[in-house]
Amino acid sequence: MDPVNIPSYFVWLVFVLPYVGALAAPLTGRGRIRDVVAVAFPFLSAMFALVLLVPVIEGHTIALVNSIIPASVPWIPELGINFGVLSDPYTVIIANLVAWISFLVMLYSVDYMKGDNGLTRYWFFMSFFIGSMQLIVLSDNLLSLFIGWEGVGLCSYALIGYYYHDERENWVGTPGSKALGEEQAYAPSHAGMKAFFMTRIGDLAMLAGILILFITSGTFNYHQLATSTGWATTLAAGGLLVPVALLIFGGAVGKSAQFPLQEWLPDAMAGPAPVSALIHAATMVNAGVVLVARIGPIFYFAMQSNPALIQPFFMVVAWIGGITAFLAATQAMVGFELKKLLAYSTISQIGYMMLALGLAGLSTNFAEGLSAGLYQLMSHAIFKAALFLMAGVLIHLTGTKYINEMGGLKDKLKITFAVFLIAAASLSGLPPLSGFWAKDAVLATAWNSGQFGLFLLGSATAGITAFYAFRMFGLIFYGAREQHPEALAGTHEVKEPSPIGWIPYTVLGAGTVLVGLLGFANLEGSLQASSIAYIYSLFTGSAFSSLTSAASFDIVPAGITLVFVLVGLLLAVQLYVRRKVSPSSLVKESGFAHGVYRFLENRWYINAVYYKAFVNAPLRASYWTLDHFEIGVLQRVHGGGASLAVRLSGAGNWFDRNVVDAVSADFAAAGKALSKAFRRVQTGVLEQYALVLAIGLILLLFFFLLVTGLYTSI
Amino acid sequence: MEYILAAVISLAAAALGVPVLQVIGNRPRVGAYLSIAAISAAILFVAANTAFGGTVTSFGSLLVSDVLGDLFALVVLSVTLAVAVVSLYSAHDGPSVPSYYSLLAFSGLGMLLLSYSADLLMLFVAWELMSLPTYVLAGFDKKRIQSNEAAAKYAILGALSSAIILYAMSLTYGVTGTTQISGILEKLAGQPFNPLISVAILLFIVGFGFKMSIVPFHMWVPDTYEGSPPAVATLFASATKKAGFVAAIRVVLAIATVYSLTPNSAFSLANVLAVLAVVTMTFGNVAALTQKSMTRLLAYSSIAQAGYILIGFSIFAYSQQTGLFTYNAMLGMTGSLLHIVNHAIMKGAAFLAAMLVILQLKRGDLGAYNGLAKRMPITAFTIAVSFLALAGVPPLAGFWSKLLLFISVINTPLAWVAVAAILNSAFSLGYYLWVIKRMYLDPGESTERVKEPFWFVVVFAVLVGLIIGIGLFPQQVISLASSAASSVFH
Repeated sequence: MDPVNIPSYFVWLVFVLPYVGALAAPLTGRGRIRDVVAVAFPFLSAMFALVLLVPVIEGHTIALVNSIIPASVPWIPELGINFGVLSDPYTVIIANLVAWISFLVMLYSVDYMKGDNGLTRYWFFMSFFIGSMQLIVLSDNLLSLFIGWEGVGLCSYALIGYYYHDERENWVGTPGSKALGEEQAYAPSHAGMKAFFMTRIGDLAMLAGILILFITSGTFNYHQLATSTGWATTLAAGGLLVPVALLIFGGAVGKSAQFPLQEWLPDAMAGPAPVSALIHAATMVNAGVVLVARIGPIFYFAMQSNPALIQPFFMVVAWIGGITAFLAATQAMVGFELKKLLAYSTISQIGYMMLALGLAGLSTNFAEGLSAGLYQLMSHAIFKAALFLMAGVLIHLTGTKYINEMGGLKDKLKITFAVFLIAAASLSGLPPLSGFWAKDAVLATAWNSGQFGLFLLGSATAGITAFYAFRMFGLIFYGAREQHPEALAGTHEVKEPSPIGWIPYTVLGAGTVLVGLLGFANLEGSLQASSIAYIYSLFTGSAFSSLTSAASFDIVPAGITLVFVLVGLLLAVQLYVRRKVSPSSLVKESGFAHGVYRFLENRWYINAVYYKAFVNAPLRASYWTLDHFEIGVLQRVHGGGASLAVRLSGAGNWFDRNVVDAVSADFAAAGKALSKAFRRVQTGVLEQYALVLAIGLILLLFFFLLVTGLYTSI
Repeated sequence: MEYILAAVISLAAAALGVPVLQVIGNRPRVGAYLSIAAISAAILFVAANTAFGGTVTSFGSLLVSDVLGDLFALVVLSVTLAVAVVSLYSAHDGPSVPSYYSLLAFSGLGMLLLSYSADLLMLFVAWELMSLPTYVLAGFDKKRIQSNEAAAKYAILGALSSAIILYAMSLTYGVTGTTQISGILEKLAGQPFNPLISVAILLFIVGFGFKMSIVPFHMWVPDTYEGSPPAVATLFASATKKAGFVAAIRVVLAIATVYSLTPNSAFSLANVLAVLAVVTMTFGNVAALTQKSMTRLLAYSSIAQAGYILIGFSIFAYSQQTGLFTYNAMLGMTGSLLHIVNHAIMKGAAFLAAMLVILQLKRGDLGAYNGLAKRMPITAFTIAVSFLALAGVPPLAGFWSKLLLFISVINTPLAWVAVAAILNSAFSLGYYLWVIKRMYLDPGESTERVKEPFWFVVVFAVLVGLIIGIGLFPQQVISLASSAASSVFH
């Protein structure tokens, strides 16, 4: 189809407008106008994104016409680096998801955050976050992607620790609960720091990978990386191709909370609910998926002639995705903290996306896995944002974050009940909702590419997912209401929030249904077409065999998965909706069940082990050096210095009495000050300093003599 | 060359004339304004030289006018100007003001001449002209004991380092029979290994490393920065430190182009510099983490930054010795020079902001920074931006120089330096964020607004504008740094 011409500044505005909003909102005082401004800029940005989406829906590609600011501008001419934006269908779809979910969450925040003292700070970081996230999505090169990447990291840190006064009610986890002797509850500021440092481990690997890629290829640009593949041959010859790809993938593992860097996300729930919805469910955690979707095709097609060289990379991506999906899903089966359960679920669902992207490189049709990942990203972002927004409302209304203290809300909150049911069903992968099609696309890719181990892992995880989704649903909406702390205190009636509160998640719920219904109209085929268009746009101008879209729906894998899902679902309904058997008595009766429960509740003890190995051990080492080295050794040295100082100060006193006092009073004051100063200097410190300098010099000369062998002739 | 001469004359006139004016008229403020005008004029002359000068050698080859010299002269004089402007507000008043400005102008003159030095004798004279006034300036708060202490320590250790430099120069002269750097290079070119020259190179590294605050020659830095009047500490961190770097480029790196330290590749100049770089950045960052005083924290952070700058030096030396990785060496030198410029701006901003806090709140410990954003919003914002830039957070100025430095070594045998630098960079963000958290989140002892004087705000605005401006549009500065870097390659 013919490309549609769109002025290039439209794309720039999508990420520039939120940044402008970040600066504008704090300048408009503390009143209503500020809130309007803060919501208006993401809305405008979303409208520009929508203009880009329309041709994509109609099946056109977009051609950017240089207007006001070209699609690519010179950035650092010395290094040949340009800064540009992308407008292929794949990018446009993700940009729209980000833009519209951001807008809805900002709208929801107006009501949810009303009256909060730090609201200006909140708007600033949320807007800044949206801009940085769009920068990640729209960038046409790894360098500006990295800039956005650091931007979202800083915002995430600031927003997780938003309640920095660390009041008990804002902690995540149950204070006092321990695993392996390590406290499992964290204050918001602690959680922010934890998230920042854990993701930074991945970021560092990623930075190193990007820099190696740059120095080998001379470019950060995706298109140039894709079309001139000499770098890949160089790297492959040095055996560095897979390591470099894995280094970059490290960034994705950190940001998207994949195993083994997944532990920060559950504790990141210390932030406000809209922050969890936007950053830690719908957008930022998907940045890793975007990154893999960028580098995946580049590495894959660079080694088209010899895929075996790059397949280990995709194997790692797929298995990390699969293992993460399973691990986090099992953790979501136990425990009662609503947002934390949703966080485990997010980790698990992102694992499916990574699984899909890894499978893309293992199958013969790259576009199939790529589009399955996109499908899963899209479906998950919508229903998970809805779930988090509802979680915020539920916690707010009932005054508790534990789902076992909720219960019986079905009649009071009809809208929320309905939307929650839709979202939970979609999460479980029930037809005809979006989650069904997306999960099917991922698992069908596994089936079609012959990765049966991964297929079974994903399929079983789908069953677990259905179980925990309906466990949550049952505990919240069925059973007795008497347990609510707020109801017990009789403070206020549990009722639906104001429209500005429930409209955003209802819209998202409708979105889930809509995407699900589009599944019948072969949405998957359209997404595959978009993915193919994206790959073509990366490789324009290079010799490239054509890609075809394949219908991936297959009744066998879909049937197997549905069986798993139904088993999980029925189990959850029996236990938590119809409440035939008390699950707590089940756990109590069997020692084995109790052990498994503890194991899952304590996150497989991974978190506790990390704290033991990486936080407490270094601290202890530092205290040990303090005790044994600084206090033991240095004090003795200082003791010698001190006795010398006493003697010197005696001499100084003599000098003061006999010389200084003899001259005029005014002069004496200055002299005394000077002598005091010199006394401080002469506590040995200055000599020490000169000594260190001399030792440095002597060491240099000593090594020089040693290596040149000159010492033998001296 | 005539522009440089004009800059020299205007600074010398201020340095000599301002105290005379005081004797005649006793109008201390006038002297201060005249010095500021003279420094500004000198900057304009240097800028003119950058635009129209070209590469010229003059004064019997004592001075060379090239882009490298222009870059450094611009940086050090701009810092001197900023220091001169904000010193209008500092506590000294009365008859000592003219001598303060005179000393400042003398030091500026020394740094200017040092930037363009092409002869070891000229270099040493300029070095001392720069250093001697700063010993006095460090002790300028003569009633305050710490200031005296700072001056004493700095002067004694400074004399030691000057002696070391002089010894290195005498060795070089003894072997080559000339003090002219180009002449030395001609003599050394193609010469076999000579232990005397190698010892001289190591002595140069130690002597210049003292000013550059390279570990383990850094010991004076925290005490002196903390004890000196804060404006003078800014001068040390952002200007005289840079003079150490230009001297090292002019002498050590120049010699590295024709002569290698030892026949043994394990103890090459590149490896020595690389080890010093890693030790310096690691020590600086680790020590900064536990500081309770802002100026000491800045001092250690300044030490750490010197380590990053050395990365470019080491890859340059490596490339010159092996003939490989010329592109990396170019990137590395560009990165080093850019980081020198950036560091002067970022650290200048942070130090001046810390100075204002000390002036207004009368305390310099980190506790004074709690809730600062409410009391002194502009100052707090300046500190926040400069700290993020120092940590290398994109897209601020410091990001680009660090990026260039990391790229320059990552595919070479010095890749371990890049790994150490990246880890250090991540680690350092910890203590920078900590201070930012104090300023913006922690409650202070009061929320009353504190006055932020006009000229401080102007200086802050310029510096913050530069940090963000260079971050967003780095082209111009990078091309200046890269043309300066190309003049290092002989």
